[in-house]
Amino acid sequence: MADAVIVVALLLVAGSATVAVLVRDPVRQALVLAVLGVVLAVLFTAVQAPDVALSQLAVGGALTPLLLLLAVRKVKRRKGRER
Amino acid sequence: MNGWLLAATVVLGGGLGATLWGVATGPLRRRVVAQNLSTAPACTGLILLAQGYDRPAYVDLALVLALLGPVGTLVFARLLTDELADDPPRARGVTWAAAALAAAVVLALCVAVGPSRATAKLLLVGALLIGGNVIASRALSGGIAGVRGG
Repeated sequence: MADAVIVVALLLVAGSATVAVLVRDPVRQALVLAVLGVVLAVLFTAVQAPDVALSQLAVGGALTPLLLLLAVRKVKRRKGRER
Repeated sequence: MNGWLLAATVVLGGGLGATLWGVATGPLRRRVVAQNLSTAPACTGLILLAQGYDRPAYVDLALVLALLGPVGTLVFARLLTDELADDPPRARGVTWAAAALAAAVVLALCVAVGPSRATAKLLLVGALLIGGNVIASRALSGGIAGVRGG
């Protein structure tokens, strides 16, 4: 019965990862990726790996979306200048 | 399986499932709000897991999440200013519902733990979580001029 947490976390990870692939707009993808990072951290905690979860929180929750959004912004600006 | 783990399963499954649905569908304003609100159930789930596994050190994870979750949302609020300026997201009801969930869980855990240093840590997590959530929500709806203007 104690595995229920792991099962729920695994289902959430599978769901959010699938959604991250299916969403095509990079900005919305960044939002899904932020949620995926948090869900992955929960999964790592459920399987008793809090150190991995700690780094996953820092990278997945804030850094990945920041990098993606900065890249999207730069690409959009360059497109605007060419026109 | 003890009651804390059951509560954690329910909070994580229900709360994160709902935010996953919110972030997967609908207009951009709804997705941003859902991303902001994903911090609250995850953080409360983590402190419930710490209590369920009887490992007080796991509360550190919730502390880090309570600090970094609003930072992630502020990144979106800052870099999506143009997209959100036309119709700013308003989510006062769900924001306060998430804050109420966090407050209820933290208070229940404080009662279970009893007065000690762990209680102070739990209260700090709760205060950071609720404060960060409310601030990030205000930033998203354009309430903070510095985020919008810069």
